[in-house]
Amino acid sequence: MSLIVAAFGFGLVSMSIIAIAAVGFTMQFGITNMINLAYGQVMIASAFAAYAVNNAGVNIWLSMIVGAVFGAVFSFLLNRGIYAPFQRKGTNLIGMVIISLAVSLVIANVLLPIAGYDSVSYHLDTGATFHAGSIALTGVQIAIMAVAVVVMVVVHSLLHFTRLGKAMRATAANPTLARNCGIPTARVIDLAWLITGALCGVAGVVAGMNSDAFAVANGSEFLIPIIAAAVLGGAGHPYGAMIGAVIIGEMTELSAAVISPEYKQVVAFAVLVLVMVLRPQGLLAKRGALAAAG
Amino acid sequence: MTYYLTTVLVYAGVDALACLAISLQFGVSGIVNFSFIIFQAAGAYTAGVLSMPPDTANGGFQTYILGLNLPFPLPWIGATVVGALLAPPIGLVVLRRLRSDYQAIAMLVLSVIATLVVTNTPPFLDGAAGLALVPQPLANLLDPSSAGYEWAYAAATVVLAAIVFVIAQRIINSPYGRSLRAMRENELAANALGKNSVALKMSVFVVGGAIAGLSGAILVGFITTWAPSTWLYPETLILFAAVIVGGRGNNYGAVLGALLVPVGFEEATRYIPPFGPPGLIPAFEWVCIGGLILGFLWFRPRGVIPERRRVFRVAAAKQPEEERGAG
Repeated sequence: MSLIVAAFGFGLVSMSIIAIAAVGFTMQFGITNMINLAYGQVMIASAFAAYAVNNAGVNIWLSMIVGAVFGAVFSFLLNRGIYAPFQRKGTNLIGMVIISLAVSLVIANVLLPIAGYDSVSYHLDTGATFHAGSIALTGVQIAIMAVAVVVMVVVHSLLHFTRLGKAMRATAANPTLARNCGIPTARVIDLAWLITGALCGVAGVVAGMNSDAFAVANGSEFLIPIIAAAVLGGAGHPYGAMIGAVIIGEMTELSAAVISPEYKQVVAFAVLVLVMVLRPQGLLAKRGALAAAG
Repeated sequence: MTYYLTTVLVYAGVDALACLAISLQFGVSGIVNFSFIIFQAAGAYTAGVLSMPPDTANGGFQTYILGLNLPFPLPWIGATVVGALLAPPIGLVVLRRLRSDYQAIAMLVLSVIATLVVTNTPPFLDGAAGLALVPQPLANLLDPSSAGYEWAYAAATVVLAAIVFVIAQRIINSPYGRSLRAMRENELAANALGKNSVALKMSVFVVGGAIAGLSGAILVGFITTWAPSTWLYPETLILFAAVIVGGRGNNYGAVLGALLVPVGFEEATRYIPPFGPPGLIPAFEWVCIGGLILGFLWFRPRGVIPERRRVFRVAAAKQPEEERGAG
C-alpha cells in the first residue's frame, strides 16, 4: 500500500512534466493545425542546450531559461523554415505528419554527434527530501511541480486576459474569419510557436531534472505520454491537455508500482487506444480527433 | 561475391514487397500506415516460431511461444496469414472514425508500443535478444551454405516479388483500385457515390498486411535472426521515403524506390570509408533519409516515376448508362 502511495507522489511529478509539455503540444496543434511529431526531439535538444550552459557552471534555473529560449527559437525557426512553407504549398494533413516525422529524425541524428551518445545529468542540488506519509519527494521534484503550476497559471492568464490570447483563440477557432476581423494571424502564429516552443523547452529541462540521466535517445520516448495526454483531453484544447496530463501522469506511475516499470508507456498507450475507440474527440473538445464533418 | 550478390537480391526483393504494400496503402488509398514495420515483424516472428523447434531445444538459451517445427511452405504461409489477421484489430481501432493525421500518429505510437511490449516480455518472443538460429527453408533437404541454395533463395524471392507485383498491378487497374483512388482523392465524394470507405480501407490494410508478413518471412528465413532492434519505427520511415522518392500510387515507382533508397543507401554506405567517431555514419544516413523525404515532398512530390494521370472521356462515362437502359 505504501508503495502505491509513494507512486502517487511520483505521479504528481510526472503529471507536472507531462502537463507543461502537453499544453505546448496541444496549443501548437490547436493554433497552427500542425501535429508536430518533432516535439519530443525539440524537448531533448532544449534539455541539452540547458545542459551545455549548466555544465559550464551556470545555475540550473538560469539554464532552464536558456532551455526555454532555445526551444522557443528552435520551434519558431522550424515553423518558418519548414512547416509553414509546406503548409502554404498546400500539403495535406497526412503530408505534414510525414514531414514532421522526417524532421524529428533529422533533429535526433544531427543532435547525436553534437551531444554524444552518453547519458548526462544536470549539476543540481536535489535539496532536502520532504516526507508526507509514504510520499517522499526531493526539493527539485517539489520545485518542478511549482514550475508546472506557474506555467499553467501563465498559460491560462495569457489565453483569457490578454489581447494576444484572445487573438490566439480566434485564430484556433477559425483562421480565415480571424484574418478578416483584422487579426494579424501570421504574427499570432509566429508568437504561438515562440510560446509553445518555450513550453517545450521548459518541459525538456524539467524532464531532464527529474530523471537521473538523459540521452538523445530519450527524445522519442517523451512523445508517447504527451500525445496520450493531449488526445485524451481533446487535441487542441489546453485545459483538456492539463486534465489528460493528470490522468496519464498518475496512471503511468501507479501502473509502474502495480505492474512493472517497463509497462509505463504501454499503459499510456492503452489509455490512448481506449479514448480513440470510445471518445475520439477527447474529454473536452467537440471534434478533436474525429474526422472533419465536411 | 556470390553471397554479396544474393544478399543484395534478397534485400531488394523484400524491400520491393514492402514498398509495393506501402504504395497500395499510402500511394493508392491514402492511408499512412506508420505501424507498417510491425506487420513485417509479425510475419518474421511467425515464420520463426513456426519453423523453429520447441524452445527447449539448443539448450533452451532462448524462450519463445509455439516452436512447431513445421516444414517449409507452412511457416511462410502462416506469416502471410498472420500479417493479414493483424490488420483487422488495428484497423478497427484506427481506421473507422479518426481523422487522417490522427490515424497516422495512432499507428506510430502503436509501433513504438509493440516494440516495448515484445522487448519487455521475454517468454513471448525472447525479448530484446530476439530469435536466433531460425532454420532456413528446406534446410533438412538442402545445404543452406551452398552457393546454389543462396541463388535459389534469391530467385525465389524475386519470383515472389514479381508475383506480388502482378497482383498489385491488377489491383490498381481494377474497378476496386479505382474506388481506392476515388477515396484517396475525396473520401466524402466516394462515400456519397456509395463506396464504403471504411471497408475499402480495411481491405487494403489486410492486403498490405499479408504482403508485409510474407516479406518478413522471406527476410527471416535468409538472415535467420530477428530482434526488436530490427523493426524500430524509423524503419517504416525508410520505406515511406522509398515510396515517396520512387513515386507513390504506381508500382513501378514503388519498386524503383525500393531499389534506390533502402538497397541503394545500404550499398552506398558500405563503400564510404569510415570517418569521424563511430555512429556518425548511421546518424548521417538517417539525416539523409529525412532530407530525402523533405526534399522530394518539396521539389518533386510525385516522385521519380509519377503516377499516370487517368482521364475518363465523357463518351466512355456514358457507356454504362446506355447498357443499363438496354438491360
